[in-house]
Amino acid sequence: MFGAHRPEYAGKLRWPRLGQDVAIVLWPSFLVASVATMVCFAFLDPALVGNDDYPPPAFSTRMTGYAVGFFFFWLVSTLSSLLTLYLVRTAHPDAPERDKAADGNRGDG
Amino acid sequence: MTGLEGQVDGGLYEARQKIYPRDIDGRFQRLRTAAAWVLLGIFYAIPWLRWGGRQAVLFDLPARQFHLFGLTLWPQDFYYLTWLLVIAALSLFFFTALAGRLFCGYACPQTVWTETFLWMERFVEGNRAQQMRLARAPWSGEKLLRKAAKQFLWITFSLWTGFTFVGYFTPIGELAGSIAHLGTGPWETFWVLFYGGATYVNAGFMREQVCKYMCPYARFQSAMFDRDTLIITYDEKRGEPRGARKKSVDYKAKGLGDCVDCTVCVQVCPTGIDIRKGLQYECIACAACIDACDEVMDKVGYPRGLIRYDTQSGLEGKRKRVMRPRTLVYATLLALLATGFGYSITHRNLVGVDVLRDRNALYRERPDETVENVYNVKILNKDAKAHEFVITASGIPGIVVSYGSSTVWAGPGQVQGVPVRVRIPEDALEGGADIQVSIQATDAPELRATGKARFLAPSD
Repeated sequence: MFGAHRPEYAGKLRWPRLGQDVAIVLWPSFLVASVATMVCFAFLDPALVGNDDYPPPAFSTRMTGYAVGFFFFWLVSTLSSLLTLYLVRTAHPDAPERDKAADGNRGDG
Repeated sequence: MTGLEGQVDGGLYEARQKIYPRDIDGRFQRLRTAAAWVLLGIFYAIPWLRWGGRQAVLFDLPARQFHLFGLTLWPQDFYYLTWLLVIAALSLFFFTALAGRLFCGYACPQTVWTETFLWMERFVEGNRAQQMRLARAPWSGEKLLRKAAKQFLWITFSLWTGFTFVGYFTPIGELAGSIAHLGTGPWETFWVLFYGGATYVNAGFMREQVCKYMCPYARFQSAMFDRDTLIITYDEKRGEPRGARKKSVDYKAKGLGDCVDCTVCVQVCPTGIDIRKGLQYECIACAACIDACDEVMDKVGYPRGLIRYDTQSGLEGKRKRVMRPRTLVYATLLALLATGFGYSITHRNLVGVDVLRDRNALYRERPDETVENVYNVKILNKDAKAHEFVITASGIPGIVVSYGSSTVWAGPGQVQGVPVRVRIPEDALEGGADIQVSIQATDAPELRATGKARFLAPSD
């Protein structure tokens, strides 16, 4: 930018695309799942889930209930993040210009 | 500030070059080290504190109660946690408006643990140049030994971190004992490894990439910035045009600025950016470049502060304003919320009552011309000592309560369930009506609570 200057780092300082994708899918869903777990189990006692006589085996103890709940929320939010990322990544890059061109054509006609 | 355009560059699998931040000493680095020691000290020490015969801070998830020194919180107190999170978020806004990314540089767990892992790396592998040489060198006995020693330190420290984390949720003394006997429960083992593993990967490998790609705060903090926010900045007017020079030469006559282009500010940067290119969202405000540049300025005999904490207004030579509408609003809201929180948590009701109808029968007509409904009354005693409670009912004329004994005991932090028979005269009610069931401690009349229930009677 300001003339010749020896670069400190020759290689890329950024993650490869795949790394970025994994990170921006898993991390926000982890945050959301943590909050969802806290809110959910503040109101719901996993020991009371299910029929009194037949508790589902996954909820045999509260700790199991919390863990199953957390990973369920993480899974759901991961799927949502994944879909969002897929839609963002596959959006046609020059879509706005094409829309503009179409408008222009209409105006000319 | 660069926006989203930086996100999609790079090939799918193209390897990233590791950043080797150069170690630097200076006033801000000493402040950061002190902050790291204090914060890590608090994190690792708190689970070992005792209070009144039990762990002082224990988020006892299996028992669904949080112990915070003398305070016991229940799921019913959940809104205190929400309140606390709002206060925390507002504090972040306030300090960001005031002094930029103070949190990132000094207090964020990601920064603090990364810094700790960097210390261990330097301890084993030496300084920046030695680390880079070691990375380039072919595998040898010494390289293997150094890498293994670093991994040993990292993994041990991570496991200890995971153990401490779980110690906030499980009594840490018992946890230490069960680890010593290799008898840890499956979930405890899992969460120790999960948190330990996260620490290892985050602080050992991902480091500044977490700030670059995964941190939402890094992206929206610019919304809280204004022209009076303290940022770390390079004084372009003073520094440019940059260039190497001999000490004997009058650089001003040659048309050079104060920047000697030594690139030390880039070498010390943990995110690998060049602060001289202006404010960038990758900057975590660690102030390493300030210390580095001050040291160089001292050496060449120029005044310090070519890179410094300053505001946009300050750089333009205008007056600096700390008090401005934005900071005043944040500060007022923060003070109100914090005061309210303190008052509310010290004056909260320490008893609660839950009244559930018995599922088996709607009502019972008794030979003594009364109608009886059965309830399960749950008395919640959030106080630190046991109390004796009297149960009364109201809402229908002639209503009486019978629960076997005359009083009910509930221990400290206990939920005591008791079946309660409520009777009314046969002619007092047709159909249904709401009643109030109250509890009151016999030794402390201010400990009382009322629950609502539905009373059913024949409607003919």
